[in-house]
Amino acid sequence: MLNETEKAYFKALLAIKEMDYSGAAGFFRFAENQFADAPEFRILKETTELLIAVKEEIFEIENERIEIEEILSDGQETEFR
Amino acid sequence: MSRLEVLKGLESTLQGFLARAVEAEEERIDAFRCIDKLDGIARDSLRGRLVSARLGSWFSQNTNRLETDRFSKSEVTSIANLLGDIRSGLDDSDPESHKLAREIERWRGKGVVPKRKLVLKLKPRSAERDLLGLLTGFLTRGVEHLESGEFEGRHLLSILDDVLKSAAAKEDKMYIHLAGAMIYFLKMNGYKIGPFVRRLREIENERFGHINAE
Repeated sequence: MLNETEKAYFKALLAIKEMDYSGAAGFFRFAENQFADAPEFRILKETTELLIAVKEEIFEIENERIEIEEILSDGQETEFR
Repeated sequence: MSRLEVLKGLESTLQGFLARAVEAEEERIDAFRCIDKLDGIARDSLRGRLVSARLGSWFSQNTNRLETDRFSKSEVTSIANLLGDIRSGLDDSDPESHKLAREIERWRGKGVVPKRKLVLKLKPRSAERDLLGLLTGFLTRGVEHLESGEFEGRHLLSILDDVLKSAAAKEDKMYIHLAGAMIYFLKMNGYKIGPFVRRLREIENERFGHINAE
């Protein structure tokens, strides 16, 4: 039977191909024990993780909402100029 | 350039890099897909499920890949091992299974041969020692040493200090064993044993080297 760690490495590559980066990161983590010393593996794993972080940051910025709070002094409307 | 623009630029660069890296591995990924599929067939076959149709379809999809030498050596070995597993579960009396068994033989003829595992076994270097006898020997001599009268009225910590000195100076391993036992006893009774453990480790390192000291 195939080695599960090796399978995970290939599944990570397939996930990248399908642009499922979170899935790929999960498979990379599973395969890490066997391939941690392989430079190619490390580059792919770390690039995927960096990409996920960048995507999260973009999501946060794009979904940032500015909340405007109007303060009324003593319940009276204030005229702003 | 805004922060968002910088991040979008970085996102596109990273995605492009990953896409190209995976593209370069396309051949290996394809081969993996084939092997993974065969692995699934082999697992099902070992569970006693009918795999004839899937195996037949697998052969027809991958014969060309084999003929054109598109499998690496390690991939060929994986396939050969999986086919070996499947072959052992095929029932030769069934015509369809018989046909598939012949196809497996044909693949073998083309070099898809399972790796033979060579297991070398070495006899034990010496007859098994009487470990229990050795342990009781150490314990008995340890008790005799402590009850020799030499340590009358002294605190156990001071006795341990003496035993450690003997362990460092004498060849007899009994002192090392006794020191270890005393340290463990003191630990169980809430004493700080750190410095004694360090001294014992140093003695062990000096006597047996680093491997045995762990």
